[in-house]
Parts: sequence; C-alpha cells; structure tokens
Amino acid sequence: MSGVRLDKIVKSYGAVQVVHGIDLEIKDKEFVVLVGPSGCGKSTTLRMIAGLEEISDGSLTIDDRVVNRVAPKDRDVAMVFQNYALYPHLNVADNIAFGLRIRKESKDAIKASVDEVGAILGLTPYLERRPSDLSGGQRQRVAMGRAIVRRPKVFLFDEPLSNLDAKLRTQMRAEIKRLHKRLEATSIYVTHDQVEAMTLADKIVVMQDGRIEQIGTPMELFLNPANAFVAGFLGAPPMNMINAVVAKGENGPIASFDGQTLPLPALPDLQNAEGRPIIVGIRPEYANIVTAPQPGSVNCTLNLVETLGSEALLHATVGDDQFVIRTETLGKIDQLDHVNGFTVDPTLIRIFDAKTGKALGGQTRVA
Amino acid sequence: MTMTDNKIGGSTEELVVEAGEAQRNRRPSRMNRVGDHLRREWQLYLLLLPTILWLLIFLYKPMYGLQIAFKDYSVFRGVAGSPWVGLEHFYTLFENDQFIRALRNTIYISLLGLVFGFPMPIILALMFNEVVNQLFKKTAQTIVYLPHFISSVIIAGIVITAFSPSAGIVNTVMGWFGLNPIYFLTKAEWFRPIFVGTGIWQEAGFQSIVYLAAIAGISPTLYESAVVDGATRFQMMWKITLPMILPTIIIMLIIRIGNMLEVSFEMIILLYQPATYETADVVNTFIYRQGIQGGQYDLAAAAGLFNAFVAFVLVMTANTISKRYSRTSLW
Repeated sequence: MSGVRLDKIVKSYGAVQVVHGIDLEIKDKEFVVLVGPSGCGKSTTLRMIAGLEEISDGSLTIDDRVVNRVAPKDRDVAMVFQNYALYPHLNVADNIAFGLRIRKESKDAIKASVDEVGAILGLTPYLERRPSDLSGGQRQRVAMGRAIVRRPKVFLFDEPLSNLDAKLRTQMRAEIKRLHKRLEATSIYVTHDQVEAMTLADKIVVMQDGRIEQIGTPMELFLNPANAFVAGFLGAPPMNMINAVVAKGENGPIASFDGQTLPLPALPDLQNAEGRPIIVGIRPEYANIVTAPQPGSVNCTLNLVETLGSEALLHATVGDDQFVIRTETLGKIDQLDHVNGFTVDPTLIRIFDAKTGKALGGQTRVA
Repeated sequence: MTMTDNKIGGSTEELVVEAGEAQRNRRPSRMNRVGDHLRREWQLYLLLLPTILWLLIFLYKPMYGLQIAFKDYSVFRGVAGSPWVGLEHFYTLFENDQFIRALRNTIYISLLGLVFGFPMPIILALMFNEVVNQLFKKTAQTIVYLPHFISSVIIAGIVITAFSPSAGIVNTVMGWFGLNPIYFLTKAEWFRPIFVGTGIWQEAGFQSIVYLAAIAGISPTLYESAVVDGATRFQMMWKITLPMILPTIIIMLIIRIGNMLEVSFEMIILLYQPATYETADVVNTFIYRQGIQGGQYDLAAAAGLFNAFVAFVLVMTANTISKRYSRTSLW
C-alpha cells in the first residue's frame, strides 16, 4: 500500500505561514490533482511531500511510515519538474539512467530498465540524443522516463505540462493518463489548469491561500462546489455569479436582482430568509437562451458572440454582473445575435452565502 | 501560345534576365544597406568607437613596427629606412643560449601555472558553492579576492619578506622545527614554486568569480531532481556542477593557453636576480633586457614576434581540438 497522508501539515517561512495545517489522504494507486491559483501553496505542499521543503509542523506519512525527517531519496518518490530538469550534458539514455546510476545499480539492469522505459514512452529512437535535440513533448517524456525508471511508490508531478503548447499539452495529458493506468502508481499532480485537473484526476484537491477548499472527484466538485471559489475555479468558462437577495415568490424563494427575479430551489436555508444577500451560481452550460422574454426568464444584454464551431460562447451582462452562456450552435446559429435572456432549471442553480461564499446547506446533490 | 511566342515580353530567356535585373535594381546595394544600418544604429556604433580607436592605436598601429624583427634596425634611420635582413634575428635568437633558456623557463613556468594554477579557481568556486553559511562564504570570498587588487610591487614585497632568511615567517616556522634557514629567493630551484604559488595566491580567488557566475546559472531544479534521485552533495558536484560549467572551463582554458607564454613579467622582474636567472629568466624578461636595456630592438622584436606566433598557434590548436571534441569553442 503506497498511500500518502498529510496530517495538519504546516509550512512557514520565518513568521509567514504559507500552508495552514492541511489534511489530505491519498489512497494507493490514486491520481490526485492539487489545483489552485498561483501562490495557493500547492507546489509547496508537493515539495514537502518530495522532501525538498522542510515540514514546519504536522506529519507526513508515506506507505504507513512518517517521513517528516526522512531524506528525499529514502521516501521512494520520483518527481517530474515543470522545466523537465534534464541534464543537458547527458543524452536521453543517460538522463533516464541517472537515478539508477546514483543508486549504483548494475550496468545490465540499468540498460534493461532504460530500454523498457524508452519503449513505453516511445523514446527508443532518441536514446542517444541530447535534450537540446528534442522537442518539448519529447523532453517531457524523458522527464517522465526518469521518474518511472525507478519504479517509485509515489509519483509527483509539478506542473509538468505548463511549458508545452496547447496541442501538445492535450496529447501529453492523455499519455500521462494512459501511463498511470499502466503503472498503477500513486500519483500527486500539481497544476493551475483546471482542465488538466478535471481530465486527469481521480480526486481533485482545490487549494486557496494555503488551505484546502474542497476535496472530491472531478464531477463532485464541478456539480456540487463547496463554495463560490471552487465554483468559480472549476469549469471553462467558470460558473456565472449573480449577486442577489432572497425574496418570497408565489411558489417558493426567488432571487431578486437588478429588478428581475429568478426562481430558486426550495432550500431549508432559504426559508424565511427574505432579504438575505446571496450569490446565485449558474454554469454557462445550464443557461438556455431565449430571444424573447418568457415566464421565469432573466433578461441580459448581449455584448459578444464567440463561435467555436459546434458551440458558441455568449458574453452578456446581467445588471452589473458578467454572464457567459455556452450553447450549441446546431440549429441555433441564426438566433445567437438576438439572444436577450435565458432560463435555467432551478435544481441546477447553486446558491452561495454572499458573506462567506459557502454553498448553502440542503442543496440537492446533482449527480 | 507559348512564352516564346509572346513577342510583347520577348523570349523566356530574355524575360528571366530582365526579371533578374529588375529585382537587382529594386534591391538596395550592399553599401546602401550598410549605410542605412549605420544611420539607423549610429548610437550603438558611437558607443563602440572608443574601443575601436583603442584597438587601432594600441594594438594595430604598433604592428607597423613589427617589421624591425626582419630589419637591421637603427633608431637614426627609422623603421622604414633600416635595411631588411630577413630571418637573421631569428637565427641569432635560436643560437643564443640565453633565449633558449628563457624559452624553456617560459614553457616550464607556464605549464606549472597551467597544471597547478588553472584548476585552483575551479576548485575554489566549487568549494564556495558548497558553503551554506552566507557570512562565512562572503568573508572567505573577500579574503581570497583581495590579493588581486594589491599591486605587484607590494605582493613582491610581501613574498620577499615572507621568505626572508632573517625575519621571514617561512624561515621562522622552519626554525621552530630545527631546520636551517634557506634564502629561498636566491636559490634557482625554489624560484618556480614560489613564483607559481604567488600567482595562484594572487589570482585564483578573483578568477573563481567567472566559475561562480557559471555555477549561479545552473538551474536549481537540476539539483532538486538529483536530490530526489538520491545524489549526495559530492555526486551533484561531480555529475552536475562540473559538467554544467565545462563550457566555461574550456573557454577559460583556451584563453589561458593563448596567454601561456605571457608569464607575469612584472612579478619576475621584481623577484628574480642573477642568481636565479637559470630558472627565472623568461622570454619577456629576455626581451626587456635585450631590447630596452641592451638597445637591441630588432632582436627583441623578433623574440616578441616569435612569442606571439607560438601563442597564436597554441590558441588555434586548442580551439580546434575543443571544437571537435566538446562542441565548445571561442569561435
């Protein structure tokens, strides 16, 4: 079992605390993605797991062994760095073999391992080349080869795809996913790209300001975000947020904003909560466009239509709030320029407290 | 209708020729392009001008005087008026035991400097790189950089005092162990170690700055990656730091080889004496004695030209070898 457990892990630089006692349990063979904006502490957390940063407080357990004071080499982890960390004076084979040579493994064993990893990653034709003679994607594969050749208990990835162009990133994402399925090793992956997080993770950990905001599967976080930050961070485009107050409608609570109303789900927290300031969260995909006012529709002012082919992004404003609608173009292309409102299924609306940003209790979990 | 049938434009061949000429006419000439470039970037060339003038005045204009190496030079007839004598001065030099001795000493001292002096700044830089305590590191660096900024005359004074048989620290320490005092600077066999050692003491620290700068340019993630792989500090130094600064080492080596025969002239003049000529007299001091003190400017010019020629061959050879085997070269 190569699980990883973080118990109240703290990281401080002098008087400044940057990671504030985080708890996280990563199961054996799980692919966990730490995601969050720059400076949220995700890379620091990963580096503490690797042993590259000292843990100020709390305990880190790898494979049922507390490793706070254990040297990186003895933690049995391998790390893939953002800038690949390849040795420019060594060829691909020597780069991959570096860790094995350091551990003084036999020449035959090293050669066999390098050949095997080269074949897995499609690097066999490039084993004699230097990193400078490789493309970005090939270098990234060599970096992964360096990690997997040691067959560690835990793989650590520190934004490994951020230096690649969009097309290559998509391709490498799939390769990492395939590799994880093949190797079945516990993997911890840091990124600020929510698309990488959604596509790769078994479990996503959203971080902000050195704290964990939410842990869950990609779809759990996407459909039932714990707070407005998570809701706004995951999803492309992110969830729309409309500042409103609760009012009493004929059939239940409604959101009142900018002289308009929107039916809300009948949450316990919204009962007798008239006047309570809330944030109404609506995913761009859940808004249905209308070209003429309908009962229950919200009026918006269309500013821009971005046609992406099979779908389009409609940038609009609702009162003072920006609002993006994602809609299919098939059969609707002629209507897009005339959109002046939208409707939304109340069960798909997420409600957050305006002060704390937390999701209001009792919301139906969307499966 | 084929192109050759088209009488409006003439034959295909004519059309091609005309098109080529038209294109040439449209494209500005090389001189015009240079002129445009100068007009556009004149500020940069203005900045370059003092250096170009310095090079012309102090390095290129004196080359005119090199011809006296092939002439029976007379100060009264001048450089142009003195008669040509071909390679006579070079024959004279190679028949002169003092020149042969000076050449042998130059090569010997240079090789000693190369073997013991060249690695020292690299070792110092690697050691400084491993020091964790910043205060200690900065203090140590200042101490080893300091001798570079002290005048050669003072350095020579320190050396003479340190090796003095009466009050020198070296002989005093030797005295503590019951050893008889030695007047090191009058012993020919001691001159080379003292000279080379002094050079290392004076310059190794300052020269280490180049390597420290090269080390500072190495990405820290290379070390972090090695730490995760289990490398020790020595392994990281050996397998990462040294190979990563190898291009800098090679460039410095080529430059050093190019200056190999330029043994520190002032220091030799300040430290040597007739008793140590056997091991201390080098080509530059020979030139000084023959040319300036003895008034044989033509012979001294021939010796200097020979020195420069050997340095040129050495630097070309080192650069070619380096280019072939390490993909690093000066040009």
